[in-house]
Amino acid sequence: MSQSAEMSSAGTNWDALSDEEFRAEVRRFVESEYPAELRNPQHRLHWEQGQAWFEKVKAKGWVAPGWPRELGGMGLSAAKQIILIEEYERHGVARLPDHGVIMLGPLLIRFGTEAQRSRFLPRILAGEDIWCQGYSEPGAGSDLASLRTEAVLDGDHYVVNGQKIWTTLATDANWIFCLVRTDKTAKKQEGISFLLIDMKTPGVTVRPIINLGLHDEFCEVFFDNVRVPRENLVGQPNKGWSMAKALLGFERIFLGSPRQSGYALGRLKNLAERMGVFDEPDFQERYTRLRLDLEDHKALYETYVAILRRGESLGPDVSMLKLHQAELFQRITEVMMDIAGENAGLLEPMGGNRDLHPSGQFIEARPTTIYGGSSEIQRGILAKNVLELPG
Amino acid sequence: MSAALDQAAEERAESIRMIRDSAAGLAPRGGDRKRIRALRFEAPGFDAGVLRQMGEQGWIGLRVPEERGGAGLGMSEFCAVAEELGAALAPEPLVGAALSARLLSAVGAEAPLARLLSGEALVLTAWQEAAGRLDVPGTADAPRLFIGQAGGAEAFLVPVREGDGLSLRLQPRAGADLTLEKTQDGGFFGTLRPSGGESLGTVAVAEVEDALDEAALGTAAYLLGVADQAFTVTLDYLRTRQQFGKPIGSFQALQHRAADLKIQLALTRASIESAAATLDREGSPRAARRAAVSRAKARASDTAMLVTKQSIQLHGGIGYTDEADISLYLRKTMVLFNQFGPAALHRRRFAAEAREEEA
Repeated sequence: MSQSAEMSSAGTNWDALSDEEFRAEVRRFVESEYPAELRNPQHRLHWEQGQAWFEKVKAKGWVAPGWPRELGGMGLSAAKQIILIEEYERHGVARLPDHGVIMLGPLLIRFGTEAQRSRFLPRILAGEDIWCQGYSEPGAGSDLASLRTEAVLDGDHYVVNGQKIWTTLATDANWIFCLVRTDKTAKKQEGISFLLIDMKTPGVTVRPIINLGLHDEFCEVFFDNVRVPRENLVGQPNKGWSMAKALLGFERIFLGSPRQSGYALGRLKNLAERMGVFDEPDFQERYTRLRLDLEDHKALYETYVAILRRGESLGPDVSMLKLHQAELFQRITEVMMDIAGENAGLLEPMGGNRDLHPSGQFIEARPTTIYGGSSEIQRGILAKNVLELPG
Repeated sequence: MSAALDQAAEERAESIRMIRDSAAGLAPRGGDRKRIRALRFEAPGFDAGVLRQMGEQGWIGLRVPEERGGAGLGMSEFCAVAEELGAALAPEPLVGAALSARLLSAVGAEAPLARLLSGEALVLTAWQEAAGRLDVPGTADAPRLFIGQAGGAEAFLVPVREGDGLSLRLQPRAGADLTLEKTQDGGFFGTLRPSGGESLGTVAVAEVEDALDEAALGTAAYLLGVADQAFTVTLDYLRTRQQFGKPIGSFQALQHRAADLKIQLALTRASIESAAATLDREGSPRAARRAAVSRAKARASDTAMLVTKQSIQLHGGIGYTDEADISLYLRKTMVLFNQFGPAALHRRRFAAEAREEEA
């Protein structure tokens, strides 16, 4: 891609297009540029697997759809971001390691210093820094605020000791943003700070964890006397919890997007046709029920998108979206398992066809009710913070 | 009279307890996970030495009459063994071997039967022509699918339609057109394209169907063992894992879920025990026997899937790792729950058999 083409593309005000024009543009882009062999991969892509695609996205100026244009983003409205997600999903475009774009960028834009923004944001856009997220710990999962990785100030540095877990694609990342404990005497939510750590610093060790899909998507990250410059703290000391929470609403609408269920429902249809049960009344009843669940989910999702479109922020009720999406995705894959017969036990896709892989889809759906706040946690939020039930 | 009956029942219960203990001795519950992991994804996916020990214990021929070299015991005993093997996640194909033993016994094929019963030479029955089915069309040249742990077989027993019955052909593994596919539990499914083989004799279709029913009930019992042990492991986790300053098992939402799982496990055990008793009772009508097997297998498939899925959920993130043993129970269930008839097939079959019985 020539420099001039890159410039002209990056200068475009994509948000000025009509929804239909923008949708057509996304469709053209993925159909002509997205590598066919990467459509609907079975696992999250490692950075090197997706890098060629990242370069195309970068040349187009589309790395950061939600960031403002003056910071190198596309400046898309929420509605257009949804269109982008829908078209990527329709084409089977894989998610790249995107914690820098989705989580850290918005946080720095809102809470970071000018120096932090100019240092980190361009490197995210250039693909020079790959970020991962260090929140959960072995003893702090659902009870995240009980995290114990500590950062102690020593001159101009914080000295970090502890362990993070479920760090997605940490082996690909060169930076990690962490919640760390900076005040052990305060109430547990109030002693937490948000710290950016260069993973090449001595004392940082990464260990991949093989998951149920037999893939090394998650990692453990260990910190042993890791010295982190003081300027890598984002926002005020001991205010990390409220900053991280401010991002959770966005994570929940992202996880509540109908994309996983929509994709799975298409694969369920493929499988039912292959197994010869698609026209059976029993199957049609179950299939239609799921289809209606998906349609209603999309309608609910649209109401949340509209909230964002009006520039309002999301309340705790967005938990409904994440919860329902995850459980719908699971139910769809469970019907796959039911109709697949013994094929449900195969490790690999049926006949090498990635569209026919009930066991893989079933396994992929398992952690969706665990990560990003488990269904138990989301139900608790709904009961306490939305319904205001006692206790 | 009643005292004599009580004594007979007591003796029977004692014999089931003894055989359960000996199964737990060879394959301890919650025991040797290292062995299970070491055998995964490497053909044949099980330990031939352990299968031989199972033969020596008399389990492969448990249902074979004593005059044919078997133990001549009932389905209640067979289910007790299968349940213990399930709780231990034993990958050795005992249910498949026992199915072949029953059929070799039916045609009086003494030599291969003797070697199978001792656990020296595994024979697997290659009966299935389509996924999710329990019928035996016996099409001569149709590929036979989903032969569990086929890589360890010395020969296959292939039922082929002949007149009103099924001719049982013994096809040696050597030279056979056999392909293997890995399964989620670390085992293998074989696909055999049958050719040639020596006919050992012909049996009625119902004979093969009845043998498959025993395999279905054995699989139900194995699944019960898997689910029951997964539940035990999960209860331990609920008691020990701390979040929000207390064991997560103290949260009422999780307590209620555990209680619901317990109900399903209790229903499954009762269903399997009553089905085994129906099969063991002389003179039970065939429709009643088939209905009982279907009831038990439908329940066991659903329960095992429910319990092992919830076990992952209740373990949280650690449950989604391969290194956590709880994942092994879900993987085993994924492979077995649809074998010898998925739950939906068995519910349909129950309805048909129950109608016949009432008629």
